[in-house]
Amino acid sequence: MEHANLMVQILLPLFSVIIIAAILVARRKNLFIRRIQGLTAIDEAIGRATEMGRPMLCSIGLQGLTVPTLQALAITSYIVRNSARFGTRAIVPVAAPEILPVAQEAVREAYTGEGYPEQYNADDVRFLSGRQFAFAASVSGILVRERVAATFYFGTFFAEALIFAETGNQVGAIQVAGTPSTSQIPFFIAACDYVIIGDEFYAASAYLSREPTLLGSLVGQDIAKGVLIALVVVGAALASLAPVLGQAFVKFFTG
Amino acid sequence: MFHEAPGGSGAWWGWVIGSLVVSAVFLALLQLIPQRFRRYVILAITFLGGLYFALEFFLPTHAMPTPQDPKAEGNFLTPYLVPFGNVATVIGAWTVGVGVLNLCQVHGRRLTRGGSNVIYSFAFFVSMIAMLVFGLLKDVNKTFTDIYDLLFMHGLNTLDATMFSIIAFYIVSAAYRAFRVRSAEATLLLITAVIVMLGQVAVGQMLTSAIPKDSMLAFLRIEGIRNWVLTIINAAATRAIGFGLGIGGLAVALRIWLGLERGSYFE
Repeated sequence: MEHANLMVQILLPLFSVIIIAAILVARRKNLFIRRIQGLTAIDEAIGRATEMGRPMLCSIGLQGLTVPTLQALAITSYIVRNSARFGTRAIVPVAAPEILPVAQEAVREAYTGEGYPEQYNADDVRFLSGRQFAFAASVSGILVRERVAATFYFGTFFAEALIFAETGNQVGAIQVAGTPSTSQIPFFIAACDYVIIGDEFYAASAYLSREPTLLGSLVGQDIAKGVLIALVVVGAALASLAPVLGQAFVKFFTG
Repeated sequence: MFHEAPGGSGAWWGWVIGSLVVSAVFLALLQLIPQRFRRYVILAITFLGGLYFALEFFLPTHAMPTPQDPKAEGNFLTPYLVPFGNVATVIGAWTVGVGVLNLCQVHGRRLTRGGSNVIYSFAFFVSMIAMLVFGLLKDVNKTFTDIYDLLFMHGLNTLDATMFSIIAFYIVSAAYRAFRVRSAEATLLLITAVIVMLGQVAVGQMLTSAIPKDSMLAFLRIEGIRNWVLTIINAAATRAIGFGLGIGGLAVALRIWLGLERGSYFE
């Protein structure tokens, strides 16, 4: 079992304090967030599905109750809330059975919150399969049979990502993807119309809701990244100067 | 608190039945909590759960050798890590039934309503019942074992492999669309992709095989250029994305742990 070394014991609490402090500051100030094209395209995709009168598909990934899945669920809630006003149907396939009640509740709450509880269809938020390629085949089948007009892939994906994206492309759907799985980002970039890379995935809930707490957390993340970049520069300089300064400095930072 | 008892013994059955009774009582008590207090109960349980794992990770460690790992280290919270992790596994095991129930509900409604796709729902029930029956009976006699092997090894696994192999063709179609000379970045992507792909295959490596490996121009060998692109440029970009994802994941986890997360699902 891994335990924290000295650098982790310093950096992790430091980053946590930075993020929490930024959240507290954000509750009193208006904070700026730059435009993220992939997230702006979500509304465009919802509009396209509404105009075409065809449903949307929102996939929240293959994992269970993890941080990326909960983040994907938050984005899916936003998509469903926005589509509820136009009566656009949203299909949410689920691969992990433990996330099914959570997803059903999130989607039901989204429809209810917008004042359209009757639009919630229990059959549209359903468990397909826990097996990776059975899930991929099921989602592909839904994309083709339902002639989906917009697809959203947010969450953790593995090899099946390209199967979804290519099938969505074949049915002519506008596709927006965002995943923390770095190995799948190139496939999404090749096959999807808009892709959210890296920590933009975790910025999505702040960007879409503009909630002060979330915006503050985003600013805290950026400050923490600045600290990391500074450490990288210092570390690279120290490693380069190691023959002169000795290995003690380098060993202190590498733990 | 955590015992091991021989499987099938009286003590074992006592622990299993006792755990079920305690869990049922606990769930009943949770249902009795007034609606306005439920959020605070969830926040408290989330905070305490996260606090345990955070303390276990950060508190100083000392040597705690185990038969499996003589060099293991830990603190006073470490022995409870596996049992607490098993709680999540057990809860996950219960939810498998939720998934099966949901599938039966959805496809059952389709069968009763009829329509153009009812054949798929019929196929689902036939497949599920067949796998269930022959999975349970596979150890009864050789015939059932052979049928189970036919369904699982030669049916399900083969279908998995088929779906996996479709990716090869999809990569070609995706690459054909993506690698176009539309802009400077797209051109750079195309050139880099061609170099990396050629460097991966023997035919590509033959193109620069005339350059001796120990000459001054050895860096121009295509597999060397491929390695440089993948291990220097690509690795740097992937690590940079990884830094951002790590910090972002920390921020989201912190918000959920401290009850600061906002959004329709979290309120």
